[in-house]
Amino acid sequence: MTATKALEEEKTHSLIIGVGIAILLILTIAAVILGATGYTPSEKIRPLAQFYLYYAMNIFKKELWAATPEAVNSMVWDYRGYDTLFETSVFFLAVIGAVAVLRLPGVKDVTTKGIFSGRGLSLIVKVVTKFIVSFILIVAISIAIHGNLTPGGGFQAGAAVSIATLVALAAFSRIFLEERHITTKLMLPIRVIGVVGIGLVALAPALIALTGIFAFAMQNQPKVWAPNFGFPPGFGDFWLSGNQFYYNFLEFLAVGAGFTVIYLMYSIPELIYKEVLKKK
Amino acid sequence: MTTLSQALWIYMYLTLIGLIAVAVYGIVRRPNLIKKIIALSILGDTANTFIIFIGFRRGLATVPILPTLNPTLEQLIAFKNTAVDPLPQCLVLTAIVINMSVTAFLTALAIQLYRLYGTLDVREAVKLKW
Repeated sequence: MTATKALEEEKTHSLIIGVGIAILLILTIAAVILGATGYTPSEKIRPLAQFYLYYAMNIFKKELWAATPEAVNSMVWDYRGYDTLFETSVFFLAVIGAVAVLRLPGVKDVTTKGIFSGRGLSLIVKVVTKFIVSFILIVAISIAIHGNLTPGGGFQAGAAVSIATLVALAAFSRIFLEERHITTKLMLPIRVIGVVGIGLVALAPALIALTGIFAFAMQNQPKVWAPNFGFPPGFGDFWLSGNQFYYNFLEFLAVGAGFTVIYLMYSIPELIYKEVLKKK
Repeated sequence: MTTLSQALWIYMYLTLIGLIAVAVYGIVRRPNLIKKIIALSILGDTANTFIIFIGFRRGLATVPILPTLNPTLEQLIAFKNTAVDPLPQCLVLTAIVINMSVTAFLTALAIQLYRLYGTLDVREAVKLKW
């Protein structure tokens, strides 16, 4: 193929892609104008949303409630719980995939101590980072345990706590984390504990059902068809929202440890990789 | 709805559509894998914002969180009539985490591709013998 022919082919490709994007945009605009998204923003919301808002914390109709004042959380872990359960498994698989791709064959746990002796960034950055990392940790735990009452939940808390690792990696180095035992060796079991815990909480009603009491998997509060089973919604001022407190905390462990593992894998120095690959 | 807020909404929708165009261009046309991943995450975030817009409510909208643990019936009805739609927020919440984990996985693949074959250019990568 000559150079001019290749250039011409390139031009045709660009034209096709340009026309394609233009058609896509025109169709999207037309769909929105014609009301595909339901005349947004409207003054009234959909009946389904009204149902969730009305019953999430409806203490007068406890056979339909989710025992949480946070409507989003009531859907994530109660009304649409299965959605979140399978989404957690997608997340679990994505982390396994990343670990499988980045793992070093034949090396159990990577340590950079002794190989590298970097000093990290300057003192100012280090001191500020120490403050920020501790704040992030406190805020993340607060988001996790208040997930059933305030905005946030397990996912957000987990994402926040993994950012603390990332900040520490950038400002100090991998050695700083290794000295504090934040390694893949510790984080992988924590992640598994989180995911297995979520599974156990979801299946707890099924275990109860073995004793003869009728209960649904992932059931939170007593329902019309299963009135004899329900997690305690709270103890006085300590409001748990049934099983949602446990879900949020376990999800926090799973997501936080999962992302931390990935970031730790990213931070393995190229030198170690090259050595291992050379041996192969 | 006043003309100004109408104009603002149209402006926001057009911005989103423009972002989709940028993201699709990046995914289809940029040869660098990292740029493709960045464009993909832009596309995901744009779609999420679009879904959040669908759930928004005109007028005096409040957050979908009840401020009390012992609500009266009037409070519940008022909450139902003023809060924004929580369903899109719930969907987006899960979509964000999936987006983040998929991005992490793709980045891992890109890093490994670069380590093993020394290139992030897909035009070069397809020529390699695997």
